[in-house]
Amino acid sequence: MNETLAASLPTLLGIAWLLPLVSFTLIVLFGPRMGKHGIGAAYLATLAIVVGFLCSAIALGMWVSVHPLSPAHAAAEEHAIDVGREHEAGAAEHGHEDLKAPNYYAGDLYTLGQFGKLKVTIGYYIDALTVGMFAMVTLIASCIHFYAIGYMHDELHDVTDHEVVLSDGHHLHRPGRFHRFFQYLSLFCFSMLGLVYAGNIAMVFVFWELVGICSYFLIGFYIERKSASNAANKAFIVNRVGDFGMIIGLMALWAGLGTFAFGDTQEADGSISHGIFSQVRGADSHYELTVPDGMVRAAAYQMVSEVSVDHRRNPDPLAAESEIAARVPNYRAQHYGYWLLVVAGVGIFCGCVGKSAQFPLHVWLPDAMEGPTPVSALVHSATMVAAGVYLAGRFYPVFTPEARLVIAYTGGITLFLAATIAITATDIKRVLAYSTVSQLGYMMLALGVGGWVAGLFHLITHAFFKSLLFLCSGSVIHACHTNEMPNMGGLLKKMPWTGWTMLVGCLAIIGAGLPPVFPFWPFGFGLSGFYSKDSIIAQAYSFWTANPTHGMILFAAAAGGASMTAFYMFRLWFMTFIGPPRDHHIYDHAHESPRIMYVPLVILATFAVVIGWTLSGVWSVTDLLEQARWPGEAGEGVLLPNLVYPNEHVSHEPAVHLIAGLTAFSTALGGVLLAFVFYGARWLNPAEARQQFAPIYTFLLNKWYFDELYQVLFVRPVHFVAAIVAWFDKQVIDGLIHNLARWTRGVAEIDDLIDRYFVDGFVNLFAAWTWSLGNSLRGMQTGKLRQYVMLIVIGTVALAVIVNFASAQ
Amino acid sequence: MEQSAVFWLSLIVFLPALGALALVAIPKDKPDIIKLVSLLTTAAVFAITCGVAFGGLGAEVHFQKGVATMQDAFTVPWIPSFNIYYFMGMDGISFTLVMLTAFVTMLSMGASWNIEKHVKAYCILFLLLETGMLGVFLALDFFLFYVFWEVMLLPMYFLIGVWGGPRREYAAIKFFLYTLLGSVFMLIAILMLYFNSDLRVLAEQDGFSPAIEGSKWEQLHIDDEATQRVQNGGSDQIHTFNILALAAMGQHTARFDGEMLWGKSLQWWAFLLLFVGFIIKVPAVPVHTWLPDAHVEAPTPISMILAGILLKMGGYGIIRICYPICPDAGFDLAWLVTTIGVLSMIYGAFAAMAQKDFKRLVAYSSVSHMGYVLLGIGVWSAWSGTNYNAEYWQMGMNGAMFQMIAHGISSPGMFFMVGIIYDRVHHRNLDEFGGLFAKSPVYSGIAFGIFFAGLGLPGLCGFIGEVFVTLSVWNFSHALAILSAATVILTAGYILWTLQRVYLGPEYKGPHGDHITPITGRELAIGAPLLAMCIVFGVFPKLIFDYMTPSVNKEVSELAVWTKNVKQPRLLEEGFDRQEERETDDMIGQVSQAR
Repeated sequence: MNETLAASLPTLLGIAWLLPLVSFTLIVLFGPRMGKHGIGAAYLATLAIVVGFLCSAIALGMWVSVHPLSPAHAAAEEHAIDVGREHEAGAAEHGHEDLKAPNYYAGDLYTLGQFGKLKVTIGYYIDALTVGMFAMVTLIASCIHFYAIGYMHDELHDVTDHEVVLSDGHHLHRPGRFHRFFQYLSLFCFSMLGLVYAGNIAMVFVFWELVGICSYFLIGFYIERKSASNAANKAFIVNRVGDFGMIIGLMALWAGLGTFAFGDTQEADGSISHGIFSQVRGADSHYELTVPDGMVRAAAYQMVSEVSVDHRRNPDPLAAESEIAARVPNYRAQHYGYWLLVVAGVGIFCGCVGKSAQFPLHVWLPDAMEGPTPVSALVHSATMVAAGVYLAGRFYPVFTPEARLVIAYTGGITLFLAATIAITATDIKRVLAYSTVSQLGYMMLALGVGGWVAGLFHLITHAFFKSLLFLCSGSVIHACHTNEMPNMGGLLKKMPWTGWTMLVGCLAIIGAGLPPVFPFWPFGFGLSGFYSKDSIIAQAYSFWTANPTHGMILFAAAAGGASMTAFYMFRLWFMTFIGPPRDHHIYDHAHESPRIMYVPLVILATFAVVIGWTLSGVWSVTDLLEQARWPGEAGEGVLLPNLVYPNEHVSHEPAVHLIAGLTAFSTALGGVLLAFVFYGARWLNPAEARQQFAPIYTFLLNKWYFDELYQVLFVRPVHFVAAIVAWFDKQVIDGLIHNLARWTRGVAEIDDLIDRYFVDGFVNLFAAWTWSLGNSLRGMQTGKLRQYVMLIVIGTVALAVIVNFASAQ
Repeated sequence: MEQSAVFWLSLIVFLPALGALALVAIPKDKPDIIKLVSLLTTAAVFAITCGVAFGGLGAEVHFQKGVATMQDAFTVPWIPSFNIYYFMGMDGISFTLVMLTAFVTMLSMGASWNIEKHVKAYCILFLLLETGMLGVFLALDFFLFYVFWEVMLLPMYFLIGVWGGPRREYAAIKFFLYTLLGSVFMLIAILMLYFNSDLRVLAEQDGFSPAIEGSKWEQLHIDDEATQRVQNGGSDQIHTFNILALAAMGQHTARFDGEMLWGKSLQWWAFLLLFVGFIIKVPAVPVHTWLPDAHVEAPTPISMILAGILLKMGGYGIIRICYPICPDAGFDLAWLVTTIGVLSMIYGAFAAMAQKDFKRLVAYSSVSHMGYVLLGIGVWSAWSGTNYNAEYWQMGMNGAMFQMIAHGISSPGMFFMVGIIYDRVHHRNLDEFGGLFAKSPVYSGIAFGIFFAGLGLPGLCGFIGEVFVTLSVWNFSHALAILSAATVILTAGYILWTLQRVYLGPEYKGPHGDHITPITGRELAIGAPLLAMCIVFGVFPKLIFDYMTPSVNKEVSELAVWTKNVKQPRLLEEGFDRQEERETDDMIGQVSQAR
């Protein structure tokens, strides 16, 4: 820990993080009134991100000056190689005292909620990876902001959207939305930087969702287009499927660890609260993977229950707790709770699958290309989709070997699948989208086979060359007003800046370079992708040596993917820039983009070349990443005992590296040559090949029918169930209620009948009797006085006679 | 101190009623003045609650944040022969809901401005309704609670039945009968509890002796005269309606444990009756079908009140009454509470997805969102297998309370957003909207914000409640936790699909397109505060947690202690311990020592 850094890094990066939020808020409130047609919004957003970049650059400089980029691991490397060999020999002894946790600076900004010891906070965790990511994200975002000022200039005045036809047959005519684009872009930068800044997994999740919603807004930027809003919905909902898994992982972690924080933080009272990493891989256990107490207790709840029942009459309230604590190591030795750790790891990785568009949730990313191209470059290739890889890397210490194997296979399948689809796609942005999916698969594969630095290194290099490629494609689209490559061709003459920078991007992504065949240059030499891809393949090879079956499959996927990458990238470049123009109308109107668009291309191209280079002590992404590595990544599985992870340093051995380098070189060369044969020199006609492999071609062209499959498997059933539920509500529950009401009314009517005919009938009958009695007596009511007197007399006499007889008896 | 509490709390509850009385004097051909007086009354109530919250009314009634027990409580004899008192007070649980009530009612009064039919009657009923709602949250005497509960029912019936849409009479009677059924159950339970309560028994328990200064007795706020009777002894039982005393009896005596029917105890039946009464109000599946009809037919401001406040009474009742008074039943029926919660979440989400009517969709989303409340309340994860660790349950119950507040803000917002567009185009058919974003961007922006709050987007209030509840469930049940997590997908599905159909797209597809005008100042003044609250509480949830957490934690901790001291021995006795059947206590020790 360094006091200066501890004080200044959170502030510097915090400023870089919050400035875009300020910009977003201002644009929301005053956007349309900022300058002419809201052009001021672009300047504000760009200013915010550029200042953010400066802050990040200063932070990076400070970091490097305190923690120098010396190849410090060189010494440890030999040692580590030994460890790796021990592993191969089956000995899992870890006696290395020199291991230590990476330098990091962690703390809390404020608390969202606290319940007893459980605390959910907003905080920060800054290590070399954070600093590197900040610099990368802000640099690329700055370039893209500048580029977008040029690219989006159409939105400065009224726009006629040719893709939207109104009901009256006209095209949609609408006011421009220039400021809104930059508003979303600023919100995105804020969210993305917050994700990297986050000090705990809950905060990662918060910003994870926020980048998701920014992506939703940006994909659906052309809100009038049905395809755009569909793609936006699809992106968000598919991501939510991943989040579903992530929430399960979060729950397992939260229930087991009682904290979300990555690193250890100091509480207000001076005590240290342990974060996830030190609970799972603490210094006490030599950074070996340890199932944390909470998970052990949760899995061994029956025994815990017995202890606490035993002690419930014990006057000492802490007695039960201390006895449980004493028994926990015993439970742990029996692997109680290990599966919870697997669930946590795989669950968190599910979130990464969604965000990084891995199989089987890769379907949203190609559709996301509905957004404007700068968005595709920033959000859907360089930064946001890489967030999944970033999180998988950040969370690496928690992954069990089993979880890593899941990651490796997911990455392997994805990279192969996406590469095959990219071969047949004709939309220039879709080729790049599938290429992004495939490259993200590479990163996941690298992480999964134990290549922590390799995977994240590729994340950094890929961000530069992929954003470059997207911006170039945007420049082409800007010039041609079409995305279809079959309508392009020969554009190199018209657009030299774009064409040549794109070639640099293509060379970088295929990993062009000289493999380390010359003894005087043991690392080879090439563009950035060369280094990162080589280290991935080397790691896959090293994994293969330890795990024959899994390793072979995964290595084959990596190598095969490399050759396909080379093929489809050069297919793209040749089709676009070389050969005779296929559509003369488009060709004639094509023009080079304005300077504000191609200068960012040149900057990114420069970085695409040099970002992978190593200048000892001055410039080395790998050395920087190495500083953030949590030690102890080697190990064996528990559920899969044959699964062995070698130390990553093993892959730097010259023998391994040479094989990997040659593999990568030859496969890539093969791919390029094939593309040249078909599309560069056109010795072979691609249409014939298409015909020959028609079933495969259709299958690939339809993207393996994933969209159709999901439509049948998920979307329709969900709507069906929804309809059933609504029917149930209306017919069954309400039907029951209505029937109840009807019965009640029926009872009431019967009641009424009884009332009317029985009770009232009785009463009426009685009344009728009384009435008829009265009526019959009415006859006597004659009104004749003599008659009355006579009746009285008769009555009196009769009464007297009766009384007389009665008394006589 | 007590004097000023009596004054201010009574004023909060009865000021609207006084306002209604004042309206009687205003001639009915002056509707604007009537509305203004009503609005000022609701605003005054809100101002008073703010005064209580921030200390503007003097230190006596200033609500203290960190205090868990009842504050500003007072007891005034009302019907002494039946031990009925005018007993009110508030803690973190009720105070936050009182604030919410005052706030939402004020805004809905603002939203009532375009009511034109029988304005005077409308406003009088509206204000009486507010009195009823505030009374429910502040009453601590069970009888008083019941009276307010019923007082609220009638104005609502008329507000829906007279000022509603085409099927208003059907909806109103459905609402009325459903709720009345719940009330009847509640009344039975109240009487069951009342006649089995005995303050003398409670006074004999440890720590409850009224003779000792500072005992827990004082926290029950028993009237002096009643305390005197208890101390005098005597052979007659001393019944009580005091909710706090009933809770103490439920947790510390065996008064409610006697068997009543079919082998179940009295408190088991009381819990069930109360629970059914309350979940009708929540509403939870399967007793929820009054809600969509009531919402669809009710005028916009009444929908706002219905969704914002009336639904919260169900959750409040379960937290305040069911669990503390009947803990044994609560423990045994925790599975029922949580299962109904999860069922409501999923069922409501599916049903929402199938709706064609905008307002009906929002109504079903309420069913889904209120399911979180039941789930969070019910996660009784403090048992022997966790060594009686109550923290996760605390989190769940706090999350449930937060969800009530959050839903109380976002849901009225959603209904108001529906109302704005309904006022203009007079239909709610989801397939006949579209393109509103272009026509009315400010309105659409606010609507997006509020609907995203409903979707549970981080940074907005819906997220905190949902996530805190969901995270707390794992220790209670893995299966329910996974199901509750799955709801996030469905929620995203129906909300995004709705937004797409209503606000996005190239053009408006329904009738009266030319009537779509930008949002008015009045509408903005109602919508913007709601959105602002969504954001503020989403970013700084501690603003609410600071008030409610101590009280919620207190209740949960007491129940955790009860689990350990009362329930666990009982389980062992019954031989129903979760792991194995055991005969006596002595053997248990031996078994586990042998291990």
